[in-house]
Amino acid sequence: MKTTGPLLLLIEDDPQFRLLLSTTLENQDFRVSTAATGREGLTIARTQQPSLLILDLGLPDIDGQEVILRLRKWSGLPIIVLSARDQESDITQALDNGADDYLTKPFSTAELMSRVKALLRRVAKLPGGGAQECFQVDELKIELTRRRVFVGEREVHLTPIEFRLLCVLARNAGFVVTHRQLLEKVWGASYIEHSHYLRIYMGQLRHKIEADPARPHYLLTEAGVGYRLNTGEN
Amino acid sequence: MIPSYSQRAEHSYRYLFWGSVIPLVLTLIDWPFRAILTPSNILLVYLLGVFFVAIRFGLWPSILAALTSAAAFAFFFAPPIFSFAIDDPENLAGLAVMLVVGAVTSNLAANVRYQARVAEHRERRASALYRLSKALAEARLEAEIIEIGVRHIHAEFGGRNTFLFPDRNGLVRYPDEPPLSISLAGADLSIARRVFSNGQMAGRGTDIAPDETVVYIPLNGSTGTIGVLALEPVDVRRIFLPEQSQLLDTFVNLIVHALERAKLAEQAKNATLKMQAETLRNSLLSSISHDLRTPLATIVGAASTLETDEDRLSKDSKRKLVGAISEEAQRMSDLTTKILEMARLEAGDVQLNRQWYAPEEIVGSALRRLDKKLKARQINTQMADNLALIHVDAVLLQQVMVNLLDNADKYSPAGLPIDISVETTPVGLSITVADRGPGIPKNLQQKIFDKFFRIHAESAQSGVGLGLSICRAIVEAHGGSIQAVNRSGGGTLFQLRIPILERPPTIDSEEKGLIL
Repeated sequence: MKTTGPLLLLIEDDPQFRLLLSTTLENQDFRVSTAATGREGLTIARTQQPSLLILDLGLPDIDGQEVILRLRKWSGLPIIVLSARDQESDITQALDNGADDYLTKPFSTAELMSRVKALLRRVAKLPGGGAQECFQVDELKIELTRRRVFVGEREVHLTPIEFRLLCVLARNAGFVVTHRQLLEKVWGASYIEHSHYLRIYMGQLRHKIEADPARPHYLLTEAGVGYRLNTGEN
Repeated sequence: MIPSYSQRAEHSYRYLFWGSVIPLVLTLIDWPFRAILTPSNILLVYLLGVFFVAIRFGLWPSILAALTSAAAFAFFFAPPIFSFAIDDPENLAGLAVMLVVGAVTSNLAANVRYQARVAEHRERRASALYRLSKALAEARLEAEIIEIGVRHIHAEFGGRNTFLFPDRNGLVRYPDEPPLSISLAGADLSIARRVFSNGQMAGRGTDIAPDETVVYIPLNGSTGTIGVLALEPVDVRRIFLPEQSQLLDTFVNLIVHALERAKLAEQAKNATLKMQAETLRNSLLSSISHDLRTPLATIVGAASTLETDEDRLSKDSKRKLVGAISEEAQRMSDLTTKILEMARLEAGDVQLNRQWYAPEEIVGSALRRLDKKLKARQINTQMADNLALIHVDAVLLQQVMVNLLDNADKYSPAGLPIDISVETTPVGLSITVADRGPGIPKNLQQKIFDKFFRIHAESAQSGVGLGLSICRAIVEAHGGSIQAVNRSGGGTLFQLRIPILERPPTIDSEEKGLIL
């Protein structure tokens, strides 16, 4: 296949699933390197410098979490983890260890595609643009530097903490931010165990921004993992 | 209690003391009457004293009493007084007769005494056995039996002791239960293992390892040695005297029988449980094999058609086949998730990951998960204002909501609304999910929460009847309850109550200054 697109690294031990994913990705004009074990994957990550890693958490040799930790010591390579275990704690741990996004098996390839593209887009944006000035999705508009938030024409008045919370989510728009990461970034490291702060402020924020706080459109809950600011893509 | 050896020695000194004192007391009593009483009368009084000592204190004290009496009589009563000499041959003969009669009766009395003591011991042993067997008869569990054994052996044979049983690998080792205060701690396991394998006693007082302070006694049951009793006797006589060793044997036998009985009962119980599990597994297998095979048949069929007839299929047919594969695969995936979820909940203690959550968020994330399915459905959510945070496992509770909403969607005609309400009541958080479907017959409102129960078993609706049992398992793990009732105006209303166990924590209030 004469593809010239970004190089993706796929670490997945199941041969059928590896074949399915690499075929699908190559069809979308990506170049794909595959590895069946964590060690092999880490070597490829070092030698071929891929643009993105798709990592299955259950690997035969070293645990997927270990792969993330080792990789994060020297690389900011974007990582999407795949988990067959629907244990939220695994996913949360992977995200806290430095993974960027996750998918639980089974998932549609369309879903994977959109995650891969979104993540590559985000990475591409980072170095040039610096701090983003403005974030907009549907009716919600956040002016990050001027610290103003609008829903449609209406300006919404937020407390400093509510605004900080919204900012963290906006900077990672489209990606899940774990409870731990939010608590640390908004309140500070000593608040990591105080998840009730997050719930209360998230509730307040929703009541100010959402049309129906019980069916949020912007501030989405990823049960047991964290929150995601909707970009209208997923 | 059997008096110990040193106690007995002390007793016999005291007894000898009484053996010599009683004749002297009698001498004092007789002395004022020496003018009235004839010497033979006085001898009879002494004889009475000797009798008394023999019955009360045994053989040797009574012989001492007889000799003391003889001396006292010779000195105080037989002329010449205040001299051991005796003039009158009649008195001499009387004294001799008294000594002989005293010796003979002492012997007889001491015999009677000994018999009484033997009988008493026998009776005590019998009652110890009775107490043990009574206690064992009431015990059901192995641990209880062992505790009873340790206590009774300690009481009867005076010594710390412990029962050692083989582990899974057949190696004798200490039990896992915390020891009693009277349990023996320092048994030598290598000796115990030898005793266990050859069924022979070892340790103190035996041929094998006689230097040990502990005696190792095999617990020989009907099917061989089942364990070892390690006993550290305070006094070896209490174990190796023939009657005592026989008693210990009987004790051990009783305990072994009780243990074997408990084991058999346990095995019988396990067999019953196993049978029930088997039945359940069979019903599960027959239930899910149907539900898994149907979509699989579609997938396999459609995929093989696509594989072999690719060229002859129209674009439209191909799309339909691919659509069918994807839809059926999704169905299988849902089903597998439910089965795994149930298995996880069934596996025993569910570890709830309780955190503080907003009830609103739990409902919201459940609705979002069903976004596609519920797109066309009108959903009315009624949230009480200022709902407090609740300390729950949000992932599991979200699953409950998803299952309830999914059911409501599945079983009520399209176009009719689903109503959700959330409020806090004095007993806890109350969430209701109500539809306008056909409702549930009153007699089935309990049964629908049973595993694999479906109102219309072979209906076209997919599902194995696990959704509601998963709900119940989760809600009950939270200490709450779930029930289904018919709604006025038609439809079903599911109500769940989650008790509030802890008051939500407070937070430092933020400066009210708004940013602008």
